[in-house]
Amino acid sequence: MMEEKKTTEEKKTTEELQQALEKAIQERSEYLAGWQRARADLMNYKKEEMERIGSFMRYGQEEFLLKLLPVLDNLERAEQQAAESDKVNPVAQGCLQVISQLREFLRSQGAEPFETIGQKFNPELHEAVGEEAVEGKEPGTVIEEVEKGYLFLGKLLRPAKVKVAK
Amino acid sequence: MAKIIGIDLGTTFSAMAVVEGGEPKIIENKEGARTMPSVVAVAKNGEILVGIQARRQQITNPKNTISVVKRLIGRRFSDPEVQRDKQLLPYEIRQDQDGGVEVKMGEKWYKPPEISALVLRKFKEDAEAKLGEKITEAIITVPAYFDDSQRKATKVAGEIAGFVVKRVINEPTAAALAYGLQKKKDEKIAVYDFGGGTFDISVLEVSEDTIEVKATGGDTHLGGEDFDQKILNWLVGQFKKDQGIDLSQDPLALQRLKEGAEKAKIELSSATETEINLPFITSDASGPKHLLFRLSRLQLEAMVKEYLDKSLELMTQTLKEAKLSPKELDEVVLVGGQTRMPAIQEAVKALFGKELNRSINPDEVVAIGAAIQGGIMQGEVKDVLLLDVTPLSLGIETLGSVSTVLIPKNTTVPTSKSQIFSTAADNQTSVEVHVLQGERPLAQDNKSLGKFVLDGIPPSPRGLPQIEVVFDIDANGILQVTAKDKASGRNQSIRIEGSTGISKEEVERMKKEADLHAEEDRKRRELIDAKNNADALLYTAEKALKDGADKVSAEVKQEVEEKTEALKKIKDQDTIEDIRQAADALSQALQKIGAEMYKQKPEQ
Repeated sequence: MMEEKKTTEEKKTTEELQQALEKAIQERSEYLAGWQRARADLMNYKKEEMERIGSFMRYGQEEFLLKLLPVLDNLERAEQQAAESDKVNPVAQGCLQVISQLREFLRSQGAEPFETIGQKFNPELHEAVGEEAVEGKEPGTVIEEVEKGYLFLGKLLRPAKVKVAK
Repeated sequence: MAKIIGIDLGTTFSAMAVVEGGEPKIIENKEGARTMPSVVAVAKNGEILVGIQARRQQITNPKNTISVVKRLIGRRFSDPEVQRDKQLLPYEIRQDQDGGVEVKMGEKWYKPPEISALVLRKFKEDAEAKLGEKITEAIITVPAYFDDSQRKATKVAGEIAGFVVKRVINEPTAAALAYGLQKKKDEKIAVYDFGGGTFDISVLEVSEDTIEVKATGGDTHLGGEDFDQKILNWLVGQFKKDQGIDLSQDPLALQRLKEGAEKAKIELSSATETEINLPFITSDASGPKHLLFRLSRLQLEAMVKEYLDKSLELMTQTLKEAKLSPKELDEVVLVGGQTRMPAIQEAVKALFGKELNRSINPDEVVAIGAAIQGGIMQGEVKDVLLLDVTPLSLGIETLGSVSTVLIPKNTTVPTSKSQIFSTAADNQTSVEVHVLQGERPLAQDNKSLGKFVLDGIPPSPRGLPQIEVVFDIDANGILQVTAKDKASGRNQSIRIEGSTGISKEEVERMKKEADLHAEEDRKRRELIDAKNNADALLYTAEKALKDGADKVSAEVKQEVEEKTEALKKIKDQDTIEDIRQAADALSQALQKIGAEMYKQKPEQ
């Protein structure tokens, strides 16, 4: 059997072998290129992945802060509505202190509220929720802040909800 | 090569995606959002605003803020749809000289494609900024029921925005592409698209090279926003009943209620009950008023039942028009945010009697499909190199007949993985490596692929020898498992062919079994873990008593011996709690040995 096989192989002409070799060389470079490309893709992917992870973390933090903000909004509503007579109550004083603690926490996490009242309405930062004609106020200026807006590390986290002068 | 982006130009929201490296992905806009409101405005200072910014100023500028222009694009002014919408739209529309529609924004009259072009131009700019290259070509989607004039107008919008519109494709077709259904020849597909403001149904048929629309139906004025409105009305009604105050007259309270309603709806897709908690919602002479209600999923389902029933009725009707019975459909695709509602999924599933395609984000699936169409035209999406994945997990049997996975299922091959194992008894000189395939935690429930013995391990205490087991699968799915004793260098291996080439039916059966037995398997696994833990503890206890025989007081020694006996007696029973308690007792007794030995140390 072995003998027979050997003779058939010898029967292959030089030309055929040449062709086979050329094909093999061509395939080799194709595969090498494919492999190199795959390696490079992986390296690049890893780099991009690191960036993605960074932005995911930032996104995660943004999501968390966005969900926490309504709690502070409501606490601030309470703070606003508390009468001066309420504020002499030591328990109320303590609660007001907790509110500033929460504000401080948000600031330490990178969430900063921004000023709106008296400024020109800017849809990049403000969301209009109402319009009122107010004497002495130029139309298009923010006259009331219904909900605070926040920046997170300098980028808009949540627009401020405002009323605008007509 | 320049990329072709896919754009879902929606009635209320739009999104865009692109194929990169063979994978479609959503392109975030400049503001970092994955979808953008399809709203355009001319601000009071004359500036043109697009997307979220246009929405933010809508309330102060309703006449110059154009939304839902998709309802007008490519239509005749005399069209009953247009006449109906004319009553609802806050901005002015009129007939142009050709009988089409024009809308007024700022001081100018625009044709609907010019408005849509502003949305598309923002997409173009944002995509270029994000991808860092010039983008000129796009695929834009339209509803399947759009006629020639509406399609042409959409194409014109793209051209005004500076795109070469490679193709205008149907939204349901794009959704089908996103799920790869174009490969399923001669299949019939139903697409159920419940968006924010519209409800569309399409029946598609896949034939050679094309996806043909067989029938369309739906309601252009039914959407998720109607669901929010139902909740809002309920909240207003409840509050009025409780407090006697009508919140619908208070725009600021209404705004908070609207947000609260939408949030509740979203939460009820995953939770069965939610709380709508809006303190200081309003106030009267007696002081501030708070709103606090609980809403259950069942309550919500009852509230919106009419919409749900209507959608199913429309679906049945459309199928009838296509002369199909629900059972004749091969695939069902869900599109649109509202389809996240479990009641909708259940109802649609029950109607067709089959599993739904819903794994892709329903707000993004159309844009993803459009990007895939672009990728196909570009030649990006061709299966250049088909890499197989392992259909089932591969691992070996370890102490207590546990199956320890080395290569989890769905790992792309070729791949290799190694892990160090050790012996379970003192002076053990050989280990058996039993290769397993399957998802069950216990060895006996999985498929045995082969086993071999590695011997000649130098005698040593249990846990000390380091035996490295390497699993290597090549691109042809041939698995080579090698075990090597690190100390002696002895190794042994086995070659298993066809570890990936397992029939689809068998894979499904094994996965199903794993799901079916998940709970009982978990309990058995816990029991084995407890027993293994008890064994290890007994071993430690005996060793500690032997090593510290002369350093430990008789009292402690006796306690450890007692606890050891107790654990030995109980450990072969199947009561996990008892084993754990006995093990804890022994563990505490053992700590006393340690403590005594430490105390003596300074004297030594």
